[in-house]
Amino acid sequence: MLEDTIVAISTPVGWGGLGVVRLSGKRSLPVAKKIFRPKKKGAKIPGRRPLLGNLFDFEQKEFFEEAFLTWHPQPHTYTREDMVEISCHGSPVILEQVVRLAIKAGARHAHPGEFTLRAYLNGRIDILQAEAVNDLIRAVSYKQAKISFHQLEGRLSGQISSLRDQVLHLLSQIEARIEFPEERLRTSTERTARTLENLIQSIIKLIDSYDLGKALTEGITLAITGLANVGKSTLFNSLLEKDRAIVTPHPGTTRDYLSEKMEFKDSVFTLIDMAGLGKPLHPVEKEGIKRGKRLASQADGILLLLDISRKESSEDFRLIDMFKDKKTILLFNKIDLPQKMNTEEVKNRAKSISTLEISALKGTNLGKLKATIHALFIPDLEKDQDIIFHMREKLILEEILAFLVEGQHLLEQGYSEEVYVEEFRKTIPLIGRLTGEIRSDDIINDIFNRFCVGK
Amino acid sequence: MKFVDEYDVIVIGAGHAGCEAAYATSTMGMKTCLITIHLETIAQMSCNPAIGGLAKGHLVREIDALGGIMGLLADETGIHFRLLNRSRGGAVQAPRAQSDKALYRLTMKSWLEDVPNLTLFQGIVTEILIKNKKIQGIATLEGNRLLAKAVILTPGTFLNGLIHIGLHSYPAGRANEPASLELAENLKKIGLRTFRLKTGTPMRLDKHTIEWDKFTPQPGDKDPVAFSFRTQKKLENKILCYIGYTTPKTHKIIGKYLDKSPLFSGKITGIGPRYCPSIEDKVVKFPHHQRHQFFLEPEGLETAETYVNGISSSLPLEAQKEILKSIPGLDQAKILRPAYGIEYDAVVPTQLCPTLETQAIQNLFLAGQINGTSGYEEAAAQGLMAGINAALKIKKKKPFTLRRDEAYIGVLIDDLITKGVEEPYRLFTSRAEYRLLLRIDNPDQRLTPYGYRLGLISEKDYESFQNKQKKVQKVKNLLQKEKIKTESRETLSLWEFVKKPEVKLQNVIEYKKFQVNLSDEEMRHVESEIKYEGYLKKQEKEIARIRKIDSVKIPENTDFRKIPGLTREVAEKLEKVRPRSIGEAKKIPGMTPAATVNLHIFLRIQQRKGPHPEECSTWNIKDS
Ligand SMILES: Nc1nc2c(ncn2[C@@H]2O[C@H](COP(=O)(O)OP(=O)(O)OP(=O)(O)O)[C@@H](O)[C@H]2O)c(=O)[nH]1
Ligand SMILES: [Mg+2]
Repeated sequence: MLEDTIVAISTPVGWGGLGVVRLSGKRSLPVAKKIFRPKKKGAKIPGRRPLLGNLFDFEQKEFFEEAFLTWHPQPHTYTREDMVEISCHGSPVILEQVVRLAIKAGARHAHPGEFTLRAYLNGRIDILQAEAVNDLIRAVSYKQAKISFHQLEGRLSGQISSLRDQVLHLLSQIEARIEFPEERLRTSTERTARTLENLIQSIIKLIDSYDLGKALTEGITLAITGLANVGKSTLFNSLLEKDRAIVTPHPGTTRDYLSEKMEFKDSVFTLIDMAGLGKPLHPVEKEGIKRGKRLASQADGILLLLDISRKESSEDFRLIDMFKDKKTILLFNKIDLPQKMNTEEVKNRAKSISTLEISALKGTNLGKLKATIHALFIPDLEKDQDIIFHMREKLILEEILAFLVEGQHLLEQGYSEEVYVEEFRKTIPLIGRLTGEIRSDDIINDIFNRFCVGK
Repeated sequence: MKFVDEYDVIVIGAGHAGCEAAYATSTMGMKTCLITIHLETIAQMSCNPAIGGLAKGHLVREIDALGGIMGLLADETGIHFRLLNRSRGGAVQAPRAQSDKALYRLTMKSWLEDVPNLTLFQGIVTEILIKNKKIQGIATLEGNRLLAKAVILTPGTFLNGLIHIGLHSYPAGRANEPASLELAENLKKIGLRTFRLKTGTPMRLDKHTIEWDKFTPQPGDKDPVAFSFRTQKKLENKILCYIGYTTPKTHKIIGKYLDKSPLFSGKITGIGPRYCPSIEDKVVKFPHHQRHQFFLEPEGLETAETYVNGISSSLPLEAQKEILKSIPGLDQAKILRPAYGIEYDAVVPTQLCPTLETQAIQNLFLAGQINGTSGYEEAAAQGLMAGINAALKIKKKKPFTLRRDEAYIGVLIDDLITKGVEEPYRLFTSRAEYRLLLRIDNPDQRLTPYGYRLGLISEKDYESFQNKQKKVQKVKNLLQKEKIKTESRETLSLWEFVKKPEVKLQNVIEYKKFQVNLSDEEMRHVESEIKYEGYLKKQEKEIARIRKIDSVKIPENTDFRKIPGLTREVAEKLEKVRPRSIGEAKKIPGMTPAATVNLHIFLRIQQRKGPHPEECSTWNIKDS
């Protein structure tokens, strides 16, 4: 399998103007030469520098696009194999044509993540980085792509890598007391207990972040709900900037649900339009409401619409209560019409839920709405903490946590240092699987950096 | 070419490694010559007057359990005994003793003089003679040539030794003793890669000029604990040590002299040990510390020389004098020997086999500081292992190595040969994966059967070891059988009861009025076995698992370059060494845990059987 030369589009389709097709394997260059002709006739293909030329359809015998070709000879490449990059117009039609021709010329379509697999198998990257790359490939949002990129750079920034330091510090304190009983050390069991507690807390935080990481990997789903005819479909269309859902003046227009992706800033959201959650007038509607409720309960957030051109009703309050445990934005719609609803009264009932007055029809405050959504669902990761994306990481962290808690228990019960430190020592290989390895020399180094010991 | 003598083994250098090596080879029946520059300085303690401490005390006990001599000698010549970490559990307790330095040296000499098969010889070795990449003998400065089947080289700090006091330096192996310059050149010619290391020693003061009442006395233990299980005599503390502190003024003086420090001016290029920092190191690295602790340790009963443990320095003599003036109680103190720093050549230890034989030259073994270690105990342990293996090799017997889960000696040598060293290597208990197993109360259980089989433990000593084992086992059985009702009214075996952190075995035995007649030592042993039982059982399983993996064979025709996930360097090393098992592969310098995992997975996929592994390809085994 590793003998094959593989090809794939390497930029996610629909992202910006330029597209790249990559080839990897022994026959990368011969394959590429069949579909690429340099501008300067007979020009030699230089290593690692882009060469301008035209893409050639060898079946139709015609040139179809201008492109750059870059040849990366092995082993200094991502996969450690010969690689070729063809960059041209980002249109999916052209990119797919390049891939099709490359396959005709002897390459094989790469399996998902196969470039990364090769990089891993050829010893170019470690498993942690490999996972990050795979996320990059599957990244739903640009934000996540950015996070994955950071991981890829071997810079598991922030807390995960500081975890290693914290564990190291925990160990070095205890070991210093054991190894240097004759020295006056600025450390104590109390201090160790504090370091330990802090460490436990940051691990718990990381474990908790897994849910958020998951939401980011799979995207944020927002359900647009409200009673019939409040303007759900109108909002759905306005946010998507296209006429996707049918809008009529009659209640009960939308019966089944619709879902579409909305891009905003660096993120992608999945919007769901659904039947109004009022009293059903028709059996079909009844089924639609059931589905709607289920979708809303599974969604990451709710956009709950109220029609201010009508008086508030007990139905409205019932819906507010229904979603009180979910992340909800309460939207007073149709502000272009005369107001009948006592919005202050409703706001009081809704308490902590964030609210906004909009007109789905006229587009009033929709920019603000998007910003609110973004702020509420996409955490500011630059100053916020690291997020873990993988079940594997979560499981390792949970294992580490278990040892730390056991050690804490022994410490509190008055066991001697060499006993409870055994529990902490068990986390060393686990940390190694998460970030960099901890070697016994590292612990000793840390002792000498922190404590003035030795005679 | 004429040879004046012919030996099985020649040991070069009679320091702590050399003495142990020569004792082992001659006891194992090898005609041995121990050659050294001055017969007066056999087993000289070049630095502090103490033996033992954490991990080091463990080593001494292991040396003793294998039949080495360091422990016996430290007990014989000790004048101040302490068991460290008494407040902690048995696994991290360790004996430390101060010896009368002169007595240590003289006693070692007279003991070695009495060892059959062993010849002491004074001379300066200038060349190691080699024929076809194999040891032939040695040549000395005096023009003598000696034949040998194996050579054990233990030159300490003498190889290219360069002493620094302030910005002045001169070649020496130890203060005023000649450095081995030709030998250092010779080693390079042989093809061994060397590098520079640095160490230092503090000043020795005249005890009559110290105001002793300005310092806090530190007495030895009331019930001194011996290193050796074979020591019969009652140990006695004959001196006191004293604790003192430097002052802010001291630190100011040091700051003033830093430009005269060979360390800070860049004159010394060798890397020093961070666990033996000089006082200037400490002051520079921890500027906010108001004072640094030091110990005043008498060097013996018949001498006025007092060792200042904690103020090692390579500053000029005038700085050393000013430093003393800034410390109350030492302001009138006279320096008998100045502190100095010393740089020396060491051999990159990753060029060694697990037996301490060099990979380049057959039957050339290295032990001690030459391998990048520091410490008397680390040296002695290597000397013993090199000696044992030199003898085994000549006898065409299987090599003797210890695993990391068997002994600190195993940890030490494995670290040296697989990881190499960047600074003088000192053993720490935290370097051991199985610290709760490698205790000072069970080295006999772990190692004495080996020592007996090697011929280093006498029949008589082996018998008393077996008797002790029986006696201890009886007590263990008793504790498992007998029950006790706790305050919370649960009935427990005494064994389980002692596991509680607040319970002491001694008290239980007294409370139950058992007539078990255990020594303190044996009591500590049983208590540790009980208290750590849960961990020990788990670790044993872990060890068994790892051993199974280590024993996985690597087929002879394996193409290591085809193994996915290995870096090119690792693959090339594997190609060169061609290990025959995962255990052997793990011993290759630079082999990372990740690489080992990759190799293992690859082999599991291949699932083929290979030949039986032996440690070093040049071993020629007669019987098994
Ligand atoms: N004036 C005004 N009319 C609006 C606004 N939003 C929606 N409407 C109108 O309200 C009516 C119902 O709109 P829809 O978007 O179909 O409402 P819905 O909530 O999807 O209704 P169902 O699918 O029947 O539950 C339509 O006639 C819209 O034009 C608004 O902001 N202002
Ligand atoms: Mg609708």
